[in-house]
Amino acid sequence: MRRGLSLVLALIAAAAAFVPSSALAQASETAVKAAFLPRFARYVTWPAAAVPKNDDPFVLCVIGDDPFGGALDQAARSQSIDGKRIIVRRMGTAAGVDGCQVAFVGGTPSQPVGQLLAAIGRKPVLTVTDARGGGQRGLIHFSIVGGRVRFFIDQAGAERRGLTISSRLLALAVGVRQ
Amino acid sequence: MQPASLPQDDLADLSIEELAQIQVRSASKRDEPLSAAAAALYVITGEEIESNGITSLPEALRLAPNLSVQQVDASQYSISARGFNGIQAGNKVLAMIDGRSIYTPLGSTVFWNQWWPLLEDIQQIEVISGPGGTLYGPNAVNGVINVTTKDAQETLGTLVRGTAGPLEGTAAIRHGFTLGDSGAVRVYANWHDAEGLPTGIGDPVRDAYRGWQAGFRSDFVTDSDHFTLQADIFRNNAETLPGDGARGHNMLARWSRTLSPTSSFQLQTYYDWFKRDVLLVDDSVSTMDAEGQFNATVGPHVIVAGAGVRTTRDRFVNEQNFFQLNPSSRRLWVYNGFVQDHFRMTDELALTLGVKIERSTFSGWQVLPNARLSWQPNDRNLLWAAVSRAVRTPSRIDRQLEASAFLAAAPDFDSEKLIAVEAGYRGQPSDTTSLSINGFVNFYDDLRTTELFFEDGHPFFQLRNGYKGKTYGIDGWGSAQMTPWWRLQLGFSTLWKDIDEKGEHVDLVPRNSLGNDPHWKIIARSDFEVAPRVQLSINGRAVGDIEQDPEVGSYVEAGGQLSYQLDEDVELFLAGRNLLHRTHAESNDPDAGQLARRSIYAGARARF
Repeated sequence: MRRGLSLVLALIAAAAAFVPSSALAQASETAVKAAFLPRFARYVTWPAAAVPKNDDPFVLCVIGDDPFGGALDQAARSQSIDGKRIIVRRMGTAAGVDGCQVAFVGGTPSQPVGQLLAAIGRKPVLTVTDARGGGQRGLIHFSIVGGRVRFFIDQAGAERRGLTISSRLLALAVGVRQ
Repeated sequence: MQPASLPQDDLADLSIEELAQIQVRSASKRDEPLSAAAAALYVITGEEIESNGITSLPEALRLAPNLSVQQVDASQYSISARGFNGIQAGNKVLAMIDGRSIYTPLGSTVFWNQWWPLLEDIQQIEVISGPGGTLYGPNAVNGVINVTTKDAQETLGTLVRGTAGPLEGTAAIRHGFTLGDSGAVRVYANWHDAEGLPTGIGDPVRDAYRGWQAGFRSDFVTDSDHFTLQADIFRNNAETLPGDGARGHNMLARWSRTLSPTSSFQLQTYYDWFKRDVLLVDDSVSTMDAEGQFNATVGPHVIVAGAGVRTTRDRFVNEQNFFQLNPSSRRLWVYNGFVQDHFRMTDELALTLGVKIERSTFSGWQVLPNARLSWQPNDRNLLWAAVSRAVRTPSRIDRQLEASAFLAAAPDFDSEKLIAVEAGYRGQPSDTTSLSINGFVNFYDDLRTTELFFEDGHPFFQLRNGYKGKTYGIDGWGSAQMTPWWRLQLGFSTLWKDIDEKGEHVDLVPRNSLGNDPHWKIIARSDFEVAPRVQLSINGRAVGDIEQDPEVGSYVEAGGQLSYQLDEDVELFLAGRNLLHRTHAESNDPDAGQLARRSIYAGARARF
């Protein structure tokens, strides 16, 4: 037994010595999801009426519970779309969703994700949901696959709302609903 | 030492393809907002089970500060909240896996050694100490243990895990894939093998235990619907006698639909069957359950209403001694209906009123109301108080166990009743700390006694409802992210009991009713990110002594895991439990209690 243990320890130590440590830095799941959100907008085309006018910024909304905090504001600041800034708005209900291009929908105890999605309905908003928050899916739905943040895309739903999703984003999806 | 995270700034420069390739640490509880539940709720996350090197469901439950976990032999555990622990006495905590009750109505207990879900697929385990309130099923008296597994969409890809040590081993495989454009499925199998424990207070037994469980879960979602179908099959072998062990299978379907922005419903049904053979005692239970629930938001009110029906058919054959169930096979029914209103009176104050009406074959109609008030002045602090009534319905063993000229059946045995008064505080004093403190006084009546009476000059034992009294105590826990690479958690629970026989009732076997409970328990956990690829988790516990004869001394024990991420897919780890002593006693059961012992194992896990 003792010999077995020391063998395992020796193997672990040997493996540690051979792999360069910078090759495998991990990031927090929340930070990576926050980094994805403003980037999605770059690969989506909205109907002309829903695109911000002139110098207006793109608006990224968080409806309901916000799992991201400052990480999302930081991620939004680091990105721009066609020269337009991205700002983050947080709201408790879906009432103000008309001004949002992208909306992350987190449920609340009194308004589950499904109800918020139903309230947004067919508006031209790129809704994003998280499998951690339940099964109800927005147009983009985060999931963890093989320890990485990936997502499903509902292309049929996007088309019904007048949104076009680029093939580059579709190529990254683990599943596309057509 | 250095933090193992990529700083946020580095993420800003990555392409979207590169982001999709980054290996992530799961979000932990500290990232989530304060739970608004007006109850003593502790959540064990799947990530914590993994990082502590835990290989079985009951060992995972040791992570909850508000549970008392006693290992009885190599596979059996007795687990309780707020007292009444013990193989016979531990009948007041409801346990469920994905909405399916694993609390058996035959003997009012949970056979923890039967259930081997793939631990990596567990989303979380909610542990409520105190009555479950309106929304949980029957027998949620002292607590609820609610295991939920991940949605199949969250378990795509392949996972392989193996652990091996001189005393135990496990192996597991799972594969998840998408099905059509709206579905996902995972299929899994796992195997476990544990050597027997050294003889303790109880008789020598051959308690080595091995077996397997396999199954699947599928989830299908559309704009407004979520459909889940899942099933498991298992077999466990014990060495007590040839053929001893347990086997079973179950299947569950659940459909939830969003009707409008303010309303939804859920329907669920399951079938469960298992059979156990232990030392010439064979028993089996088959369960059919159907329940429905409707949710609606009307102004400041969130209303939940529902109904359910469950029927069980059991069979009990004892060729070991003269204890028999009469009749040996019987069908039982439980019906319930419930309604709950969560009323947000102001932005800060919410009142939840709920009532459940329940009828079982043995207990007639029971009304189980509860009222919960919560005051949340800001995002960081929540105060709550609750009063609730709960009952444990009589089991077949309570009512119909008899032994000729020794034990008489108890056709009048009634439900055990509880009125619980609770209050608590939950808060996040800072961005990196969390705290929860809960106090309770439980008023019990009609608790079970084993009494002697004479009929025609012959002495008989009989189970009766002879105890009345109260228990009280405090449980609490807190966590602090001390540095980016070090997280510390502490928890405790205390318990005092003041329960006496009523009138002329005299209980001859108090251990079987009142339990064998230490007055206190403390847990401490520490998680270190030692280096970018190396994680160390240590969990310690100190448990007070059991005063009832036979006494068990207080003990301090620790376990943990050292893990190393070999490459993007593979993790190696060395883990152990009960590391501080070669053996120690946890259960004082005079028949079954064996000695828990040190176990060390090495393992590997790959995800791709």
